[in-house]
This record gives sequence, C-alpha cells and structure tokens, in this order.
Amino acid sequence: MRYIVAGYVVILSLLFLYSVQLVWRRRRLARAVARVVAAGAGHEGPTVGTLPAAGGPT
Amino acid sequence: MWRDAALVAGKDLRIEARSRVALAQVAPFGIVALALFAFALGPDRAVMAKGAPGLFWVAVLFCTVLAVQRSVSVESADGARDGLRLSGIDPAGLFLGKAAAVGAQLLVLEAILVAGVVVLYGARIEVPWMVVVSCALGTVGLAVTGTLYGALSAGVRVRETLLPLLLLPIAAPVLLAGTRIWQAAMVGGTPADGTQWLRLLVAFDAVYLAVGVILFGPIQETA
Amino acid sequence: MSDLAPATDRRDRPVAPAVPTTGVTPAPVQSPRARATERTIGVLALVGTAFTVWLGLWVTPPDRTQGDLVRLVYLHPGVAWVALYLAFGLAAVSSVLYLWPRTRSLFWDRLAAAAVEVGVVFNVCTLVSGSIWGKPTWGVWWAWDARLTLTAVLLVLFLGYLAIRRVPAEPEVRARRSAFVALFAVLDVPLVHFSVNWWNTLHQGATVLNPGLTLKIHGSMAWTLLLGFVALTLAFVWMLLVRYRIGVLEDWLDANELGAALVERRSEGAGASAGAAGSAPIDPVGVA
Repeated sequence: MRYIVAGYVVILSLLFLYSVQLVWRRRRLARAVARVVAAGAGHEGPTVGTLPAAGGPT
Repeated sequence: MWRDAALVAGKDLRIEARSRVALAQVAPFGIVALALFAFALGPDRAVMAKGAPGLFWVAVLFCTVLAVQRSVSVESADGARDGLRLSGIDPAGLFLGKAAAVGAQLLVLEAILVAGVVVLYGARIEVPWMVVVSCALGTVGLAVTGTLYGALSAGVRVRETLLPLLLLPIAAPVLLAGTRIWQAAMVGGTPADGTQWLRLLVAFDAVYLAVGVILFGPIQETA
Repeated sequence: MSDLAPATDRRDRPVAPAVPTTGVTPAPVQSPRARATERTIGVLALVGTAFTVWLGLWVTPPDRTQGDLVRLVYLHPGVAWVALYLAFGLAAVSSVLYLWPRTRSLFWDRLAAAAVEVGVVFNVCTLVSGSIWGKPTWGVWWAWDARLTLTAVLLVLFLGYLAIRRVPAEPEVRARRSAFVALFAVLDVPLVHFSVNWWNTLHQGATVLNPGLTLKIHGSMAWTLLLGFVALTLAFVWMLLVRYRIGVLEDWLDANELGAALVERRSEGAGASAGAAGSAPIDPVGVA
C-alpha cells in the first residue's frame, strides 16, 4: 500500500509542479511582453512625432 | 534520379577514398568499442559469444553515427550544401546517393567488425547467409535514417550531440532485428526464428526509403 | 493619439527584414473568453483529479487478486493514454498539418511543440507510475516488457524533438525541422512496437501481464477509472492551452524585443540632444 500512496504522490506532484512551472513561465513572459510594449509605444513620440510624413491631425 | 544518386555516391566515396576517414578512424573506433565491451563483460568467453550479436550491432550503431557525421560535415565547408541545391540535382537522387555512400562505408566497417567479433568473442556462425542478409538490410536502414537525420541537423551547431540523440532511438528496431537474426544464425540458434525479423527489417527499410525519397527536398530546405 | 501611429513613418526602415524598428507589432492578447475557458478547464481538472484520488485511494474496494495494488490503475493507464495517444498523436497530426503546404501555419507548429512538451511530462509519469506499480507487483523496478520499452523509446524520441527545438533558428526553419523529427518519430512507433513485442515474446516464456488490462472492472472501480481518464485529459488540455500561450508569448518576444530595444535606444539619444529629434542617427538604407 505504501507503494500505491507513493505512486499517487509522485505522479500528482510531477503534474502539479509542471503546472506551477507553466503558470509561472506564462506570468513572467506576460510581464516581459508588457515591458516591451511600453518601451516600444512610449518612446515613439520623440523619434517619430516631428515628421510631416506621419500625417498627424491637421 | 538514379544518375544523380550515382554521381553523389561517387563523389562521397571518392572523398572517402582520398581522406580515408572511415577506414583510418571509424574502423579502429569500432574495434576499440568491441574491446571495451570485452573488458566490460569479463573474460568468460561463453558470455561474450552469447552477447556477440548484440555487441556487434551496438558497435555498428556507433560507427553509423560517426559515418553519418562525416557524410554531413563533408558538405558543410565552402557552402557546398548550397552549391548542391543550386546545381539542380534531384533531391531524391541526392538522398539516395548519400545514403548509398554511407551504406557502402558501413558495409566495409561491418565486414571488419564481423571478423572482430568472430576472432575476439569466439562467435560461431552457423548460417552465414542470414548474417550477410541481416547486415545488408540493417545497413540500408541505418544509412537511410542516418542520412535523413544528418540532413535535418546539417545546419545545427550542436550536431555532434544532437544527431546520436535523434538517430539511436529510431534505429532501435534495426538493432533488435539485427541481433535476433544473428542469434538465430549462430550455432545453437534456430534459423526459423529469424525470418519474421528479416521481414521487419525490410518493412523498416521500405518505410524510411520512401520517406526519404519523397521528403528529402523539403528537408534540405530546412538546413 | 497619432503619436502612437508609427507604421507609416518612412524614416524608420527595418534594420534587418524581420526586426521592426517602428516600435513593436501589436502584443498578442488572450481574449477574456479564452482565459475563462482555460480557467474552467483547469478547475474541472483539479476537481476531477482530487475526486479520483479520493475514490481511488479510499472509496473503491481492493481487487480480489491484486489487493490494494490495483489502486494505481486509476492513474497509470490514464497518464499513459494522455501521453502516448493524446499528446504525441496530436503532435504528429499537427506536425503533418504544418508540413502540408495548404495548411501551413505556425499555429500548428506551436501546438505540436506544446503537445510534445506536455506529452513528455505525462510520459515520465507513465514510466514512473509503471515502475512504482511494478515493484510490488512483479518484484522489479523495471522489466523489459513490450509496453515499458516502447514507452521509454517514445520518451527519448520526443526528447530529441525538444532538443532540436532548442536550437536557435528562424521560426519557420525550427518549425520544419521539428515537424520532420515528429514525423519520423511517429513512423518509428509501429516498427518499435512490433519489434519489441516480438523481442519480448521470444525472450520470455510467460508474458508479463500488464496490470490494468487484465482486470475485470466493475462498478465503482469502472466509474473511478473513467473519471481518472477524464480528469487527466482535462488536465492535459489545460496544460496544453497554457503551454501554447507560452509559445505565443515567447515567439512574440523573440520577434519584438530587439525592435523595442532599438527604439528605446534611439529615443535615449534623441532625448539627450533635444533639438536633434529630427535627425536620423541610424538610418540604414535610406528613405522609401
């Protein structure tokens, strides 16, 4: 019976730990994406906004 | 396609003839492997004779990896791979040619290893034609799958470690079949046992030959 | 609002074809409905698994022949089914769909990658649970049983898949390489299956019974078994969804990080020399 319990514990732990790793990975990546988006969008003003070609509001 | 295959095979074999890598490096490595197996299994000749079929095929597998690595690296210098693609050679022909070259080298290596196994392990072969046929069919299977994976990992820098990892599991049926056929062909084995394994080898060869001929073009484009 | 409309700026040409220097491509967003579905599936999987464990370890009766040892049947065949058929099967189909010109799309590649990774995890679970079951049942941690051997070979085959995906390459190249590896691996499966079966029966006198398949399952045991399958399948689906999403995010980051960093760098320079905002410091190929 010990083996059975050990089996259950091992399998469920493996699956659980993997799930946790997945969630953590996704969270980390989502934060990185947010950072990149902010960096890309936030700095477009100085380099781009002064150009006439962009066709801003006139 | 066949003409291209002959061209490519000829080229690879000529390179081998001039550089003698298979003969000078891979063959000694195979013999060393056999010796190491002997050290590992101990001096009891009976054990070694019994294990001879399996050990032979494992040594062949190791040599296959080396031979395929060599076959791939021949193309990697000076943009030769791009040259091959631009030259308009039929991809299927290229595949068959390279596989044939690897296969030819393997056959020579196997001949050496058979001699090694008979001499070093005291293996006694009762039905030689089965041994020969198994080597022939097994070689086809190994050369074909080796060429396929070689092409897939051609552009990859970690090819040295990646190729064995990819190739050896695929080659498991060849190893199993080859060993079983040999065992059937040994003194003390039942030859009839070997026939279904021969059929498996034929099936294996057919499947991967077909796959290679059909898909080698697209595979090349990934390198 | 127009500050955020960069795409038509003619000055900022990409330095390299794939790298946008006009900021970044739109971030991949997961719709709230998708997120909710994923959550639901996750919760269901969790509940189902917990229920299965409770039923399996306490409620169901011990088997007549195997006694309490039978209880692993509620998990072991389930993880095996998920790994071998569901996950790797899906990976194989996705890979073929990617290779097929008419259905080629990186979606299939990402799906295959996710399926293989989750499949490998379940495969390890299969081997470990089989081993733990085997010890008290057969007395050994491992046997060269046809199934165990095939499962082990499958693990190595798909570890190879994961290995070749790690090699740095363009997404399309990586996708093709891995798709071919998956295809070859799947073609090998029936060959290994037959050869190992023959190898096994020739090798051993009495065939090793595979626990679980020789049981006559009745009543509560049958229901628990079914629940186990369902719960594990749901767990697989959830993991697949999350892993797929991770793939999407990773690919997006790969494509856009450099572009964003370039933009950031350039704006640093432009900010420092206040009036120089209009100059083109890193204008590579010229305008238009």
